[in-house]
Amino acid sequence: MTVPELPSPEGPGHEEDRAGGNRAVVAGPAALPPAPGRSLAERAANGVPAVDVRGVRKIYTRDSQQIVVLDGIDLLVPRGEFLALMGPSGSGKTTLLNLIAGIDRPTSGAVFVAGTEVSALSEGALAAWRSRHVGFIFQFYNLIPVLTALENVELPLLLTRLSKRQRRARAMIALEVVGLADRHKHYPRQLSGGQEQRVAIARAIVTDPDVLVADEPTGDLDAKSAEDILGLIATLNEHFEKTIVMVTHDPRAANRAHTEMHLEKGVLAREVSRR
Amino acid sequence: MRFLPYVLKHLRRNWIRTGSTVVGMAVCIFLFCTLQTLLAAINYSLQSASASRLWTRNSVSLVFPLPLSYKPRVASVAGVRRVATASWFGGVYQDPKNFFANFAVDVEPYLLMYPEYVIPDEQRQAFIADRRGALVGRGLADKYGWKVGDTIQLESTIPPYRIGRPFDFVVRAIYDADLTRNPGVDLNQFFFHFEYLDEATGRRVGAGTFVVEIDDPAQAAEISTAIDAAFENSTAQTLTETEGAFVAGFISLAGNLSLLLNAIGLAVTFTILLVTANTMSMAVRERRTEIGVLKTLGFPSRLVLWLVLAESLVIALLGGGLGLLLGWGGIHLLTGLPMLGPALAGYPSLGLTPSVALGGMGIALLLGALAGVVPAMLAFRANITEALRTV
Repeated sequence: MTVPELPSPEGPGHEEDRAGGNRAVVAGPAALPPAPGRSLAERAANGVPAVDVRGVRKIYTRDSQQIVVLDGIDLLVPRGEFLALMGPSGSGKTTLLNLIAGIDRPTSGAVFVAGTEVSALSEGALAAWRSRHVGFIFQFYNLIPVLTALENVELPLLLTRLSKRQRRARAMIALEVVGLADRHKHYPRQLSGGQEQRVAIARAIVTDPDVLVADEPTGDLDAKSAEDILGLIATLNEHFEKTIVMVTHDPRAANRAHTEMHLEKGVLAREVSRR
Repeated sequence: MRFLPYVLKHLRRNWIRTGSTVVGMAVCIFLFCTLQTLLAAINYSLQSASASRLWTRNSVSLVFPLPLSYKPRVASVAGVRRVATASWFGGVYQDPKNFFANFAVDVEPYLLMYPEYVIPDEQRQAFIADRRGALVGRGLADKYGWKVGDTIQLESTIPPYRIGRPFDFVVRAIYDADLTRNPGVDLNQFFFHFEYLDEATGRRVGAGTFVVEIDDPAQAAEISTAIDAAFENSTAQTLTETEGAFVAGFISLAGNLSLLLNAIGLAVTFTILLVTANTMSMAVRERRTEIGVLKTLGFPSRLVLWLVLAESLVIALLGGGLGLLLGWGGIHLLTGLPMLGPALAGYPSLGLTPSVALGGMGIALLLGALAGVVPAMLAFRANITEALRTV
């Protein structure tokens, strides 16, 4: 498949943020059992990791009861990694994903993404950081129904200083990447589930983020569409070298990832590496 | 500006709800503009009232006449310079919709009391000399194309003055006024001889009112009391008040018109505030997930707040604009209203003034802002993970 190149957006401070810091990489999760290939920690040790989760705990309080969702998570994800987070419902997969994506904060511990300690950013700085560094793919696509495919993809670019023409051009390239350029005028209701998810992926990559996070991206799709979407995500990882962290229940989806991490009751229980 | 298309697309999402809110807002602004213009016109008409003129009427109601025999007794009260009978004739010209103020008056004293009516001497004399003569305002003459010498007919809507045929009049004089020196002078009135009315009705009618000119405006209260005291034990007791109070009472009839109109306006405005606030709350509730998505994509909470507020303000702008348009057209219909119409006819260039239009738009925007502020704050505070959990 011929994949168009995705130019970098011209938001202020974008390149500086991308450079990241030079923090030492901490060792990987010591409690994990040995993996068949090289572990994430070993691979991440060669440079600044895409994601560095350090001793993260997340506790929710419900009706004066404290629920420990994540209990001392340490995780290193090297750049260009395709990681699948698996585990039973309530194991804390989505919570961990949200922490990495900067849409939630840990109760204790720290989360670094591309060298930035996202868990320490203010609310406003975190929003700006998300718009530049993270792309989101949701289970239910979450497209805005009143906007066309092109307008949906263009949405994150409204936060940049790009002109309307530049925004449209970039959004069209992103739609070309996902193979839906010819449907750019269609509204979400006029698209199939698989096509909607492709538009959502285009929206996720249009800002050329460092990390793509996907929460059950195939959970609402039939087998054929799911396979197509997984192929597209794999292409983004291989061709565009995007770091991907994907939460899934589906073993077939997890098989496309380089590494599987299994969470159980808020702790990382097992790592399976295919490299 | 780059977010405007996004805001507009959301408003089109549920166009029936948006449309009905816009119409509700428009009705509110239309009412505001109409009522404010009405009040301004009434206040303007009161400006012509002279402090040296009193009006004496039946204390029960304007509907009941006073005996003509009261006239010399009123004239004899100390401080009174002259008295003229003035009866509301309630006549219509050709068609009931051609309704304007017309009075049967004692011509000579009446004209002396109203020096602000500018009448050419020869016309004045001709009017005084002709018992069937009529004096009409310039506005009325222009409206119906009347010229001096024209014969016209009016038929009264008041039973005692209905004699089985219309009254014939000859336009003998047309009056003007210097509206700079005497603002509020109504140029849409029609005057004729009270004697003509008295004779034509078989000398059975009384006086609707007496206009009383006094020597010293500062003595108005004392003289009013003295006049009313003179008829205290009569079958028809009187109520004497200054011309300003009389005109205000005549226009309102039902009490404090200004308070009533403002209360109506306030009630409608408050209702529209609730309707718009409800619309915006529903719009935000329906879009909880979307708000979560926007924030996830990096939209700052403050920007999300402004987007919601902008939707509310766009509704307000559309409603306000439509309301002004309706007001612009509707205000002209006010002159067709019974009782109010004649009073408003003298208001110069009756229409939507810039100050009322600005006030209307200001109220619309204020309503929009107030209605949008709570939903906008909810959107501002929405937690991303909780919002995304809503399916």
